[in-house]
Amino acid sequence: MITITINGKEIKLEKPVTVLEAAKSAGIKIPTLCSHEQLEKYGGCRLCLVEVEKIPRLQTACTLMVADGMVIKTETEQIADVRRGILEFLLINHPLDCPYCDKAGECELQDLVVKYGPATSRFKEKKRKVPGGLEDPILVRNMERCIVCTRCVRMCEGVQGASAIAVINRGGHSHIEPFSGGRFDCEYCGNCVSVCPVGSIMSRLHRHSYRPWQLMSETETICPYCGVGCTLVVQVRDDIIKRVVPRIGTPVNNGLLCSRGRFGYEFVGSKERLTTPLIKKNGMLEQATWEEAISLVAKRLGEIKDNFGSSAMGGIASPRCTNEDNYVFQKFMRVVLETNNIDSTARTGFAGAQGFIENIFGQGATANIIPGLSNSDAVFIIGGDPTAINPILGLQIRACSRGGGNILTIGHIKGLEKFNPVVLKPEFYSETVLLEGIVSALKNKKGLPGSNQKLEAKVKGINTAVEEIGEKCGITEEDFTKFIEILSESSTPSIVIGKEIAQSSGGSYKLLLISAINYLMNARIYLLSERANEQGLLDMGCAPDLLPGYRTLTFAEFRKRYETAWKVSLPEKTGLSIFEMIDAAKNGSLKAVYIMGENPVFNLPNSKAVEEALKNIDFIVVQDIFLTETGKLADVVLPALSWSEKDGTFTNMERRIQRLRKAVNREGMEDWMIIAEISKNMGAKFNYSEAEDVFKEIARVSPLYRDMTYEEIEKGDAIYPYKGEPLRGVTEEIQVHNPPEPPLSKGGLRGIAAGKLYLRLERPLFHSGTLSRKAPALVNIYPEAVARISLATAKSLSLKAGDIVKVSTKIGSLELPVEIDKKVDSSAIMLSNNFEDKGAFSLMEYTIDPVIKAPCLDGNEAKIEKVK
Amino acid sequence: MFSEAAIKELEEIRQKYPSARAALLPAIYIAQKEFGWLSQDAYEAVANALGVPKAIARGVGTFYAMYKHKPLGRNIVQLCTNVSCMILGAERLVDFLKNKYGLEPGGTTPDGRFSLVIMECIGACGTAPAMLVNDDFYENLTEEYIEEILGKYK
Ligand code: SF4
Ligand code: SF4
Ligand code: SF4
Ligand code: FES
Ligand code: FES
Repeated sequence: MITITINGKEIKLEKPVTVLEAAKSAGIKIPTLCSHEQLEKYGGCRLCLVEVEKIPRLQTACTLMVADGMVIKTETEQIADVRRGILEFLLINHPLDCPYCDKAGECELQDLVVKYGPATSRFKEKKRKVPGGLEDPILVRNMERCIVCTRCVRMCEGVQGASAIAVINRGGHSHIEPFSGGRFDCEYCGNCVSVCPVGSIMSRLHRHSYRPWQLMSETETICPYCGVGCTLVVQVRDDIIKRVVPRIGTPVNNGLLCSRGRFGYEFVGSKERLTTPLIKKNGMLEQATWEEAISLVAKRLGEIKDNFGSSAMGGIASPRCTNEDNYVFQKFMRVVLETNNIDSTARTGFAGAQGFIENIFGQGATANIIPGLSNSDAVFIIGGDPTAINPILGLQIRACSRGGGNILTIGHIKGLEKFNPVVLKPEFYSETVLLEGIVSALKNKKGLPGSNQKLEAKVKGINTAVEEIGEKCGITEEDFTKFIEILSESSTPSIVIGKEIAQSSGGSYKLLLISAINYLMNARIYLLSERANEQGLLDMGCAPDLLPGYRTLTFAEFRKRYETAWKVSLPEKTGLSIFEMIDAAKNGSLKAVYIMGENPVFNLPNSKAVEEALKNIDFIVVQDIFLTETGKLADVVLPALSWSEKDGTFTNMERRIQRLRKAVNREGMEDWMIIAEISKNMGAKFNYSEAEDVFKEIARVSPLYRDMTYEEIEKGDAIYPYKGEPLRGVTEEIQVHNPPEPPLSKGGLRGIAAGKLYLRLERPLFHSGTLSRKAPALVNIYPEAVARISLATAKSLSLKAGDIVKVSTKIGSLELPVEIDKKVDSSAIMLSNNFEDKGAFSLMEYTIDPVIKAPCLDGNEAKIEKVK
Repeated sequence: MFSEAAIKELEEIRQKYPSARAALLPAIYIAQKEFGWLSQDAYEAVANALGVPKAIARGVGTFYAMYKHKPLGRNIVQLCTNVSCMILGAERLVDFLKNKYGLEPGGTTPDGRFSLVIMECIGACGTAPAMLVNDDFYENLTEEYIEEILGKYK
């Protein structure tokens, strides 16, 4: 126990902390400018100087550690004098353009000058001028205001890990610049903006549009973009979102955000939002009233059900909608339309991968706390770049590396390249062999533990020699051995799995091998999730084989539970997956489909074929916030309220249930309410007056979310397994599908040298499905689709950056500008699937893995030729 | 892009320091020698060669006045105009350079032969006015003497 005295108050401390922290814990405020709780200690601004008895000179409270018996004074005349002096020095150059500065009102310098004076500086020379600062579309720099506290630099380097900005020049001329001196060209997390104490780096999105004290409300809610589920605060004035900021102390992201969360909010106020229902008349979508639209939907769905039966109907749910929306959606499909044909784009990877892993390890195998990653001593990453797909989770991996943990990656991962990764880069399409090799090596080193017989039976026979890895994967024995050594010596390893695993050939077999690695290493699994409520949607039973609570439909006992709760009898047969629905549409057996908050015509591979198939369907309802590619095919389009306009809950990838709150008012209905209205029109009683009513029902009927309440969720207690019953012991046989990987070599040559290129999907940090298209800030950062090729490809085809090329596959072609990326495999062309009419999925065919039902996108051969 | 010789030199230098960042100063010098001045490309080359973030490399380099951040002439004239030199007529010499050679402080002659950098005391107050041309030192300057000196530099 350490006892110190600050301003006469005795303070007892368990462990040594800084004087600043000790004072804070006792409610004593010491002024600071350069210190920040999220950053490393610095001691640069000298504002926190305090008097310490027996130490002759003033000391910086932010760096001085307490020692037993210290007697400290924080406000004396001497200290006030010094602080006044420091501030006067800062004001030599600081412009005091507060009337014009967006920071005024929440500026730390302004507040300190108010408290410690001086009103003006004695310095008569001209203040410095720093030209420029408006070159970037997102971040404005106003470097006359910079007080060189280096908080932004320490944030960018020490927390974000981007190292995109630095102090340049020296003395009175020093200020902050990104490398280019103009545009930031960085990760655009905006975390530098959060920590700047003055108005030197600010968001351009709300520039000069309001003063901080004019905000009408601040609402804490959850990010609409990815499965990390960051808490963010939406600041609103006149029902327009002015700014989105993080909050320190929130469980998942603790004061940090990524570009999408911070700058991607403008879609809410977009002028392109749907405002009224639309009904197709003579091939044209025309505005209609809600009454017309709802009664038409009810009538047509009723007719189709009567004429063709329930199995002719399908529903596609949304990983962007709330648990409440998705629960009501599946209940409508099961109770009113009487079909289990319910699925979502979670089927493109997440659902199957999670189901597969849970079948081996039990429910909750992927429910691991994200910040825990930084405490691992090794993180094994495969199947995608976590720093782009789930950026805040990516930061935890970077923090792990900074703290001395090992980063082990299969394939090159761009966002981690500066974090000393140990990389095994197998030749294109030889991942399976490498994984078999890792399993074999770990088995030899560690031996099978014997606790999971089913899994062991599957992997016992695997025995891949190092030579085979060298031959097939092009990995040296030395590299392989080093990798295995680090992995096997780790005692708290984590495994991060991206969607590319589920979307590659032998997806289920690769998952088996990764599960085996997990088993042999006793690791924790993190399954990357591209959508905010992918997990929740599955928990709500929006899958052809699942009931709410992630309960297998085919178990009579589970079915009975819901039959009692909903007072109906439920269809027994497993429904169609999203891909099976597309097939059924193609062959004419699917007559009606209800699509909520999803754009399958763009977001499913072979999108042109999906479009053709959907055109075959008699009646399509699309419920969305924008008129998407899919909406254009619909017979009825229903406008829904969007994120930040409604209440509800999301369940993130660590299975934490979190509250989504309404921040802006807009006329309209939530997704669940629209569906409840339609149900009413079809003779079913769905009596909910607000989202919480729906949640209460979920908490009553779902064994997983049992007895959960909004109140508890708000307290932050909704961590898996809640108070529910995780499903245990209901495992099925482990099945895998292991087709040969696509052949690659041609006379020993690979990639462009063999004249063969393959299409691969790029998953950019700045985009997310088709939603980010409507967020101008994200579009400004990453404005158009590009074809990313390797240096080798560029050389052999004499292409340079910016050239327009035609990329074609068997099923189509796209014209795109070229970007050359040293790290792209020489066998690959990378294309994103985010931009209108330029989606990679229009060129990609797929085969379905029969076990995880995910589309395998491997082996799409592409040609590329110069257009101009 | 660095020449092979420069890459070799960089590698050797890197070995002498415990971390890549510590090797930045000599590495930036090598880049300056290689490219003549420190353009963005030069910083990028240094950053890539050492594996240091490029913004940081540039931040470190811009701290030091003796790195060149714009293209300069073939010969660099560093003329002192601080107190002693000023009293003994350095300002007239500045005018002389301007009129005779078209050489402005901070500027470069149109033929790229000379650049002029104004210095704050080069430690030659006793023999002021003084200047450096490249690495050569000259004192007790007069207009005629300067003309004679500069004639030697092509
Ligand atoms: S936005 Fe993020 S990456 Fe960009 S400079 Fe700021 S902290 Fe660094
Ligand atoms: S820009 Fe802001 S945070 Fe960065 S050094 Fe200047 S004042 Fe500090
Ligand atoms: S990491 Fe995901 S949840 Fe967090 S701010 Fe970014 S997009 Fe949103
Ligand atoms: S806050 Fe302590 S020196 Fe800046
Ligand atoms: S003042 Fe010119 S050398 Fe000292």
